[in-house]
Amino acid sequence: MTLTPLDWIIIVVYLIGCLAAGLWMRKFVRGVQDFAVAGREMDVNLGIASLAATELGLVTIMYTAQLGYDKGFAGAMIGVIMAFAIWLVGKTGFVIGPLRTAGVMTIPELFEKRFSKRVRWLAGLFVVLGGLLNMGIFLRLGGEFLVYATGLPPSWLEWVMTALLGLVLVYTALGGMLSVLVTDYLQFLVMGIGIVVTSVLVILHVGWGNLFDGMNAAWAAATAPGAQAGTAAHPFNPFHPSSFGWGYLAWQLVFQVAVATTWQTQISRVLAARDADTARRMYRRTSFYFVGRFLLPGLWGAAAFVWFSQHGGLPANLDSLTAMPHYLSLVLPAGIIGVVVAAMLAAEMSTDSGYMLTWATVIYNDLVTPCLRRPLSSRGELVLTRGLVIGIAVFLLFYGLWYELPGNAWDYLAVTGNIYLASVFTLLVAGLYWPRANATGAVAALVLGAIGPIVFLLLGHQYSIAPEIAGASSFSLAAVGMVVGSLATRARPPAATSAPAAPASRVPPAPSSLSPS
Amino acid sequence: MNAFVIFWSVLIFASIAWYGFLVFYVGIKAGREIREMTKTLAKKE
Repeated sequence: MTLTPLDWIIIVVYLIGCLAAGLWMRKFVRGVQDFAVAGREMDVNLGIASLAATELGLVTIMYTAQLGYDKGFAGAMIGVIMAFAIWLVGKTGFVIGPLRTAGVMTIPELFEKRFSKRVRWLAGLFVVLGGLLNMGIFLRLGGEFLVYATGLPPSWLEWVMTALLGLVLVYTALGGMLSVLVTDYLQFLVMGIGIVVTSVLVILHVGWGNLFDGMNAAWAAATAPGAQAGTAAHPFNPFHPSSFGWGYLAWQLVFQVAVATTWQTQISRVLAARDADTARRMYRRTSFYFVGRFLLPGLWGAAAFVWFSQHGGLPANLDSLTAMPHYLSLVLPAGIIGVVVAAMLAAEMSTDSGYMLTWATVIYNDLVTPCLRRPLSSRGELVLTRGLVIGIAVFLLFYGLWYELPGNAWDYLAVTGNIYLASVFTLLVAGLYWPRANATGAVAALVLGAIGPIVFLLLGHQYSIAPEIAGASSFSLAAVGMVVGSLATRARPPAATSAPAAPASRVPPAPSSLSPS
Repeated sequence: MNAFVIFWSVLIFASIAWYGFLVFYVGIKAGREIREMTKTLAKKE
């Protein structure tokens, strides 16, 4: 066991603080609007803290460290592209501006206004399917970090995961987005301190010059005459064929713009913002955070690679995913490791709470509500949404326990997210900016866009399908579906586009620009 | 190779500095915003 009593005290104080803050916000929840989008009272700095905390989970730290271990600093190029994409979307207001102005609670809700009720329901299904599969591995990866970093027995992993999820569940199910925002704020602070302290200690431990020399030496050995080809990636140049290469990075640029405009957990912060301008400022000011999101854990992973390669190689019970937490357990002194574990718990908790709430809101708002004959009471809406949060937590627990990753963690996350990203991104862009787009094109885009990622998930391992091929094909198929479907059929007049309006949507009417043309 | 080494070195130290800065800056500003938000929500009750 690596933890001392001082470390445990730090961790317990942090957990109690989070729980208390989350429960305190419960008293402000009066209806589903407060629960799902915090009454749209979130200002820009709280938005920055919440967005950064939610999108930097323990799972993120694990897979970005794995990229650092496998690909060196070049692995962080995805973070640079992500930061650029978020800044660009914030600067131009592309998609997020009109989306926030529409006053919806979820993206699929917009599709009912623009296309039809059926498109809303189908899009909601894809959003939930992709989102839940994506989130399914969060707990296991988070649990692995905690087990390896703290020296807990591996058999405790399931219990650690269950206890952590139970804690998050209590305040998320009771306080919704209001609790999530306040706990995200605390978690952002603890996480920021932990990441800065860990990065400085890692650099001091491995040595700045030694870090570069070690990666260079490994690359030189891998490319020396007689060495087995394809065993190492260029540690600094992401465009090198042994690293990501141009094709993968080009796909990532499209993918990250789609994430910034479509990923429901990010968009839920846009929709909780006071107005479109606040949302855009939040994006611009958070963008550079996403460089560090990949680069700093990548630094820890690269340092683990160099350290193990200079000290007899990676132990047999470790791999590229678990090397970093084990390395940190060797580097961090007593007292500091308590702060870092609290920071990593913060990362895990903020992501779990944000994701559970987001997907529960989509299920409630876009899958259940459109099927109801009569609107639920305000209390009924809250009970239903809270029940959905609990249901998602149970799913996470069981899926997270038995699913085995088909490749590396990053590829799994990118491909499962792509199940809906490509198609919903196409629907959003076409719906907002192409007057000719219609419901037939939307359905075709949804179905065709999901084919690539689902084929990868089912057959990718067997037939060695590259993730960028699966991803790029889903974007192309979705676009083809939208264009061909819309051009081949005429848009129906608004009165005929849907069955009676969904009950209890409790949102302002869409601006006229969103009406089918 | 050297250009990439400089590029990543600058980004690493800038990221550490940025994270450290945000902890204080956003910590203070967002703390005030939470106070304002709870006041507004309390008035709505």
